[in-house]
Amino acid sequence: MTTLRNERALLWLLLLPVVGFLAVFFLVPLSQVLYFSVMDPGFTLKHYTAFITDGFYWKVLFGTFQTAAFVTVLALLMAYPLAYMVVRLGGAFATTILLIVTMSFWTSFLVRTFAWMVILGNNGPLRAAMEMLGIVPAPQLLFTRFSSTLAMVHLLIPFMVLALYSVMKKIDPNLTRAARSLGASPFDAFRRIFLPLSAPGIVNGCTLVFIMCLGFYVTPVLLGSPREQMIAGLIGQQIEEFLEFGEASATSVILLAVTLTVFALYNRFVGLDKLWG
Amino acid sequence: MTDEKTNMGSKLVVNRRKALTLAGATAALSFPGPFISRAHARDVLYVNTWGGPWEESAKVNLFEPFMRENNVEIKTVSPVSFAKLAAQVKTGVYEFDVTTLGDADIVRANEAGLLEDVSKAPLDKSALWDGAIFQNGVASHAFATLISYRKDKFPNGGPKTWADFFDPIKFPGSRCLQRHAGRVLAIALLADGVDPDKLFPLDLDRAFAKLDKIKPHIRVWWTQGPQSGQLLRDGEVDMIGIWQTYPVRLIREGQPIEMIWDKALLDRAYWVVAKGSPRAALAWKFVQTAVRGDNVSKFSLANVYGPLNPKAFDFVPAEDAKLMPTSPENIKKVVLQDTTKASDQLAEASKQFDRWIAR
Repeated sequence: MTTLRNERALLWLLLLPVVGFLAVFFLVPLSQVLYFSVMDPGFTLKHYTAFITDGFYWKVLFGTFQTAAFVTVLALLMAYPLAYMVVRLGGAFATTILLIVTMSFWTSFLVRTFAWMVILGNNGPLRAAMEMLGIVPAPQLLFTRFSSTLAMVHLLIPFMVLALYSVMKKIDPNLTRAARSLGASPFDAFRRIFLPLSAPGIVNGCTLVFIMCLGFYVTPVLLGSPREQMIAGLIGQQIEEFLEFGEASATSVILLAVTLTVFALYNRFVGLDKLWG
Repeated sequence: MTDEKTNMGSKLVVNRRKALTLAGATAALSFPGPFISRAHARDVLYVNTWGGPWEESAKVNLFEPFMRENNVEIKTVSPVSFAKLAAQVKTGVYEFDVTTLGDADIVRANEAGLLEDVSKAPLDKSALWDGAIFQNGVASHAFATLISYRKDKFPNGGPKTWADFFDPIKFPGSRCLQRHAGRVLAIALLADGVDPDKLFPLDLDRAFAKLDKIKPHIRVWWTQGPQSGQLLRDGEVDMIGIWQTYPVRLIREGQPIEMIWDKALLDRAYWVVAKGSPRAALAWKFVQTAVRGDNVSKFSLANVYGPLNPKAFDFVPAEDAKLMPTSPENIKKVVLQDTTKASDQLAEASKQFDRWIAR
């Protein structure tokens, strides 16, 4: 008995490094942000009321969520078939595709954003191709919502693919085969067996991409329409330009709260665990 | 010794004392003791830089001469961050001792008490020039926001004034300006005919009314210097309000680019020392070296900034001086900003500008 208890105590000790790390580098700064949001200079709620009563902030926040949701859905639609194909075909093909996907992590977001500027630009290959195909004059692609969305989807697809792949490769192929042998059409077997089993991957991938997208702002500024603004950029500006730590903290807390609320509502009404019901 | 007051240095001193005690004890025990060859570590100065080509030029032309002449080491921190300057004075933890601030920021920083007092600084003022000192900073170099356009888009001549830039009927085409409230609002007022001497404080309503007229023609707002050069080079925009560095480079590359000096908006950069910096004395010594005519001219030549020390032009070839915003010829054309009159309105103007863009 005592040895078992000791062993359990030892197991808890294993948690110490990660808990300590998170406490120091995550919980402490986060509480500091919470503290600043109500304590700049003395105790006050004015930073919150300033946000809540100002339509501009809500507009930016809503726009950010809209962009993030749209990018997430597009990334899922493109990454799912790819991950599915990789899992089903396996072998050298799968390794090659996964290598290509992970390779994109080696190039920074900023470099890839600038690459899109070249590709989508007035003198870029895409417009040249359109003009060759007789679309004259080719539409201006750069500095539109289209180009910023395209680039964000491209930047975030690898995360989606890997999140889906890690779940899909654990699905026993015999289950689909069993469904087929019991008379299900290929599509039915996919819809009723494979898709529900891959749901955790969809949830993981969507959460990851959605949250990362909420924090984007350089890509929309460089590629998007002049009116586009993301909430992360606003927070950065509040600190860098206006030195308003209180207001920036309050904005961050509201962003965090709204994000958690979205997920809580989703969990309550749809269920994060049974995304495809 | 400046060392003794520093955070980093004090640790060194303590360690050295310990080491010396230890060495002394050892020496007492076994004479002759070990010979301590390095009793004094090199002083280190931390300079905040803009990174990129700015830092490359500063390294070769400002830092290295200073390091050689004074046997000190300079370490750099980038990019320039006003927020960090404020934070380090508040917390007493100094990541950098010296930085450069622009016309608008230096007034704000000085009012917030973030800068060392220049009157008490160990500076040789006889080596400086009239107007070198401003708001506890020492003037270093300047850049200008000017009109630049692609000649291939305007074969019959392009915009010559800010009023032309704001006239989409006379000069149709896509435009681009920096996403920077202070500069854009000032430019809008110049375009509307405001006298350069009466630019500040900014008449915000008038400026926004003028901006409304070209808003649909602004294809993009630039935020990074290299981005602005790229936009002009790739022909993404037909005309742009841009820092002179980039069109100069493009013209030298042989691109069909024109630049207009008339009423270009000048932004001066000043060296400042962070208030309470433990290495303030060394920092001022660096500032003195950095604004010396020979040094600042070489520093400016690399990226075609305009040196603010008039003596610097003794070291600049005439054809390069033509491209500098502070050359005797160009300084008469550019608009000097008197930001002391605008310091309390710029934060509000910036917020209003953001809302205006999102509209």
